[in-house]
Parts: sequence; structure tokens; C-alpha cells
Amino acid sequence: MSEVENPKKERVLVAMSGGVDSSVAAALLVEQGYDVVGITMQVWDYTKNECEITEGHGTCCSSTDVDDARAVADRLDIPFYVMNCEAKFQQAVIDDFVNTYMQGKTPIPCVNCNTYLKFDHLIRKMKELDCDWLATGHYAKVVESKTGRLAIQTSTDDWKDQTYFLFTLNPEVIPKLLFPVGGMKKAEVRKIAEEKNLIVARKKDSTGICFIGKSGYSNFIEQQVGRENLLPGKLRLYPGGDVMAEHTGIHNFTYGQRKGLGVSYSEPLYVLKIDPETNDVWLGEEKYLYSQSARLHTMNWLDDVEDGETLRVKIRFAHQGAEARVKKTPEGVDLEFLEPQRAITPGQAAVMYRSQQLVGGGWIL
Amino acid sequence: MSFQPFETVQKGQQIYLDNNATTPVAALLVPHLENWVAEWGNASSIHQSGRGPKTLIREARNHLADLLGCHPLEIVFTAGGSEANNLAIKGVYEQLAVSGELENKSRFICSQVEHPSVMKTMDYLKDKGVDVVTVPVSREGVLDLEFLEDALKQAPTALVSVMIANNETGSVFPIEKVIELSHKYGALVHSDMVQALGKIPFSLKNLNVDFASFSSHKFYSLKGCGILFSRKGNQLVSLIHGGAQERSRRAGTENTLAIAAFGEMARQKDRIPFEQQRIRELRDGLEKKMKESISGVEVTGAGVERLPGSMSVLIPGVDGETLLMNLDMKGFSVSTGAACSSGSPEPSPVLLAMGLSRDEAQSSLRLGLGWSTRAEDVDRFLQQLIVTVERLRSFNDEASEVSKESV
Repeated sequence: MSEVENPKKERVLVAMSGGVDSSVAAALLVEQGYDVVGITMQVWDYTKNECEITEGHGTCCSSTDVDDARAVADRLDIPFYVMNCEAKFQQAVIDDFVNTYMQGKTPIPCVNCNTYLKFDHLIRKMKELDCDWLATGHYAKVVESKTGRLAIQTSTDDWKDQTYFLFTLNPEVIPKLLFPVGGMKKAEVRKIAEEKNLIVARKKDSTGICFIGKSGYSNFIEQQVGRENLLPGKLRLYPGGDVMAEHTGIHNFTYGQRKGLGVSYSEPLYVLKIDPETNDVWLGEEKYLYSQSARLHTMNWLDDVEDGETLRVKIRFAHQGAEARVKKTPEGVDLEFLEPQRAITPGQAAVMYRSQQLVGGGWIL
Repeated sequence: MSFQPFETVQKGQQIYLDNNATTPVAALLVPHLENWVAEWGNASSIHQSGRGPKTLIREARNHLADLLGCHPLEIVFTAGGSEANNLAIKGVYEQLAVSGELENKSRFICSQVEHPSVMKTMDYLKDKGVDVVTVPVSREGVLDLEFLEDALKQAPTALVSVMIANNETGSVFPIEKVIELSHKYGALVHSDMVQALGKIPFSLKNLNVDFASFSSHKFYSLKGCGILFSRKGNQLVSLIHGGAQERSRRAGTENTLAIAAFGEMARQKDRIPFEQQRIRELRDGLEKKMKESISGVEVTGAGVERLPGSMSVLIPGVDGETLLMNLDMKGFSVSTGAACSSGSPEPSPVLLAMGLSRDEAQSSLRLGLGWSTRAEDVDRFLQQLIVTVERLRSFNDEASEVSKESV
């Protein structure tokens, strides 16, 4: 495999979030001689829950991140635009996030944001703005695979690698993508930001889910669906089914959760199962969290995979990856892990790799 | 009378066609700036450093009074058009509240397409329990005068605020009729005249308006200065309490630099009729050619007289925001609606109020030609517009073919 060489003097649309990675991506592209156009998608009014300054009826206020992105674009002297994508974000990301939660699963909204906003909406904008490429600050690489096709490969920085969030990419889009920081470590990226005097150089990494404020998941779900629609239920002990306590709604729990359960028992207890039908939340000892199989639906493939092939599979973003045999089913894939895995969580994505190459993934049932 | 082409301070190679948002600064102001900055004294000071700024402000006030056709003391300098609009509306409201007349005159009226600084101020009064009525405007740009008269008849009205011309479509409203009707029913009239300055000649002497707002940066001058014209004898409570500046109608040390610049521009009064005609011809020519060369183009609010350089065009099948970005990258500054502080546009409330659908509003482009616009700028713009619209529309064709296939 070899790095794809970037042709020069072409126009590239770079998605700028106001963070250090996409800012450096833009700066590197300018340095490489591209005709660079910056764009920010205003997806969520972060002032809604976070900001202590109330800006009246604020439909026209901009977030600090947008201002940061604009300041970087100004420093680089490139055109920069803000697109209002709040409606699309609400529909494709927020609504799905809330629905998944209400089904007792643990959603991963960043994938949908990539699927429906970054690599769909922005690909269209790329064409409409007469650009040849779309660049983002993702930690991922585009490489030529053995078959001669372009493929996504994990980034140089293993710790930051974001290919997990890219498994839903349409393979046709890959030849149009540039990931300028994918071949770097985070520390190098920050160093470049310092050298280029970008105001975001020391900005904190965004962690967690961008639209969940300090008030946390439960409050967010309550705001979105309304407290009256959240039903109470029981905390039951696995496997016997004894009722240990009452709870105020399944949205307060995620698989594998240990803290904040509000029950006491001789052994540490974990959330094992959330049943949206009965609103029962099952608790049990850690050993019950382990499982060797997983069932996936709604697959997306970026390369050919043989039935029965063994691939490295990540079952959550922070997962190291584990070997599993892939068996294709009408709905998707059944995974058989070689070793038992802890907390295979419904609603999360299982993303598959052949060596460093991203080959596809699906959603855990 | 003939004039040399008007020179402005140029930033980059961009051709600026958004003169309703702001205007470029006149080149003729630049040589003065250093002298004006040198007058950094406080105009209210008794020592000698106050003399210079005081004189500059006085001269500017005189020039502006001449431009507007009013008495110099009828001019209240503010920090801009928005403040002037706020001062007129809240000032009248507070005055009535103070004098206990609010109960007898509880209604405030404005049009549905006012600038946000009028609209939101009216909303503010509404929250305080004021009976606010908004007068509709048709898609053709016609203000519903019958509706206005009915509203005036129904309840004793304190103030009617109707802009002289709309900032997006350029439609000129029949302000004389509005004044006549309102006065007949005992209401005061305020007019947001920000868009009129420099575009059409007028004299406040002949216009029986009680309050009118103006802004320096829409008239080739600096940001940070506005005027509320308040006719002699009007009672108004100040928004900003403090010193006795502006005859106690607006406290705060004067913005000498911006006021002096505004006053200097006022001396360009004679140029207005010349530019009015020149720009109207440019605009009309552009509209004609646009309609000939781009299918489906519609000019919003074309049913009434419009400001010479303003046009709001609906280009079906094209997203206005995307079109704007493309044109911007080709060197042309245009807009899709009123300038938004976040730079992240929503469909124009003005166009929606005029009865355009969301899609239509989002397919609209606003142009404002100005004194610095040359014939060749308009020609080059048109060429690029045609090419870009064609290209953007071709994506729609692709998309609809794909969706047909998938069906």
C-alpha cells in the first residue's frame, strides 16, 4: 500500500469545526498549494443548554467554535462559509439518538453525523462549490489497496484513530476525500498549529458527544422527549429477577454501567440488559457482561469480505479490537469472537478491519 | 450635471453588490481621517481640546440638516440606525408611560417587513402589554393601506412605524399616505429611512414625518453613527441616561470621527439624483438581461416603485446560499437576505412575510447596486451568474434522474 499523492492546484472544500485538527488540515492544504475553501456546518445551537449569556430570542447567534473556525480561515486568508444544518442534524442525528436511547440501546451519533452531514451533505456542497476534493480533520488515511481500489486505513496516531466513525462511507466517495492530519500524531498536529500561530492551537480536544452539555445524557433526553413521556420501571437482579429498586426511566442507564445505580449488593453490579417493553433494567455481576457473539444489522461494506473470514472488530470507539469470524446473514452479520468480549452493547457499531484497512461494519442488535 | 465615477476604499478585487447591507467607505473621506482623529478631545470639555471636536460635530450637523431638509437641532446622533429605531419607538412609549397617556393611546403599528430593529422593538413592547398591530405587504410589494386605516380606526394609536423602502426588495412604500392617514387619526409617524439616504432625493421639510432614522454606514461613511430625526416639539424619553449630549436626548460622549465623516458625505447631496438615474438604468438593464438569459427568474416586489439599485430575484431551482458562495468565490459580494450576525442564514423573514414560500425565499438573491458600481461590473456579474446558475441547476437534473432510477 502506498499513500495517495495529492495533486496540486485543485480546489478543496475543507470542513472546519473550529477545532485544532480541522484547522491544521486547512492550513496544511493551503501550504500544499491547494485552492482551499473552508466551511462550517452549524448543526446545533450549543448556547441552548450551555451558555450562561442568554442572547434574547437568539436565532442568529453564532457559537465560539464557528467564530474560531472563521478566525483560522481569516488567518489563512481563504474563503469561509457557515451553513445552517440544524434541521438536518436534528432529524438525522438528534432524533435517531433519542429514539435509540428510548429503545434501551446506546447510540453513537457521530456515525450518523458523518453519514448524513459530513459525507453526504458536504459531498454535494463540494460539487456545487466546484471543488475537486473534500477534506476533514479526521484521523484516518486514504490509501490504495491491494486490489487497486482506494480504501480507508487507520491513522498513524492509534490513540486518535477515527476510522471507527467512517464505516458507513459510500465507497464511491472515498476517491474524493483528503485527510491531511491522518498521517500524523496529535502532538505533531498541535505543534503545527502553534507554529502557524492558529488561535486554536491550545484548544481542548472535544471529548464525548458534542451536543450533550454539562447537564448530561439524562437531562438531554428529558428535554427532547418531555419528562411526562419517560416511564418508571424496576431494577431487577439477574438471573433470579428479584426487584432491587424502582427507577425513573430507562434513559438513565447504559449497558455495562456500574456507577449511579442506587442499589447495594454484596458484589459490584452492572447493567446487563435494558428492556424497553417492560422498562425493566437488569443488573448482575460482571461475569455476565461477557459474551462471545454479536448479531449485526444494516451493514456497509467498503471492500469484499468472504463469508467465514476472520477480521479484527471494534465494538465501540475505545475498544482495542478483537478477532472475530464473520458469518453473513440475511439481516447482516453474525460475529463469533475468538475470545469473550465485555459489554457488547446494542446500538453501538461493530467496525471491521483487515490489518489496518477499514472493510465495513454494522450496528449491534 | 455630470460627475466623475465615485471612488471607494477597495478591499481586494471583490466587486461589491450588497450595498443594502453596508456601503464601501468613500475614498474622499480618507484624507480627512487623520485630522479628525487628531480631534480626540471630549466635545463637552471646557478646555481647548473640546473646541475642535465640538466644531466638527456642529459642522457635520449642519451639513446633515441640509441634506435631510431639517433643522440641525432636529438631529439626534446615535450609534446607528438600530439605535435610532429603538429610540423613536421606545422613546415614544416611555414618554406616554411617564405622562400617563398610555391607556388612551395603547396601540403601536408597523409593517410586517420592517427591519429587525423595529420588529423586535415592537415585540418588546408587546411583551409589556402594548397592543401591536402589523400591516401586511403583498408579494408585489404593496403595503395594505386599507388594513392600516382599519387598524387606526379600531383603537387610538400612539405611533405608526413604516419604513420608506424595504431593505431587501427595495419596494418604496407610500409614506406620504401613511403619514396623512396616521395624522388624521392622531398617531405619530416614525419612518426607518435608512435605505433611502443616498438612493433617492427627499426633504424632511416636505415630508410631514415626526421621526425618521438614518445610518452613516449605508451612505459611504463609517460605522458607528446614526441619526434620529425628531421634529421640533416632539417629546421623547432618552434610552441612554447620563450627560446632556444631544440636548439630553442621547447621553454619551459623541463619536466625533464617525459624525464628522457622515457630515462630510452629506456634502455629496447633489450627486444623489445623478446616481439615482445611473444606478436605476444599470439595475433595469441587469434585470432585463437576467430574465432573458435565465429561465424562471422573478423579481420580488416589482409591482411598486423601487429604490434604484435594489433587487430581490427569485431563481427557481437554485439554493441561494450555494449561489452566494459560488459568486463570492468568483469575486462578487451578494446576499440572500438581511445580513445575519452568525453568517448562517435562515430564509428571509421579509420575503416570507410577503408571501413567498420557504423554498422560494431560499432561492432568492438580493442585490444592492451602489455609487461604486460600474457598468462593466454588472456585465461581468451577469456572465458569471448565468454560468453558475446553469451549473447548479445541472446537479438538480442529476439528482432527479437518480431519484427516478431508484423509483
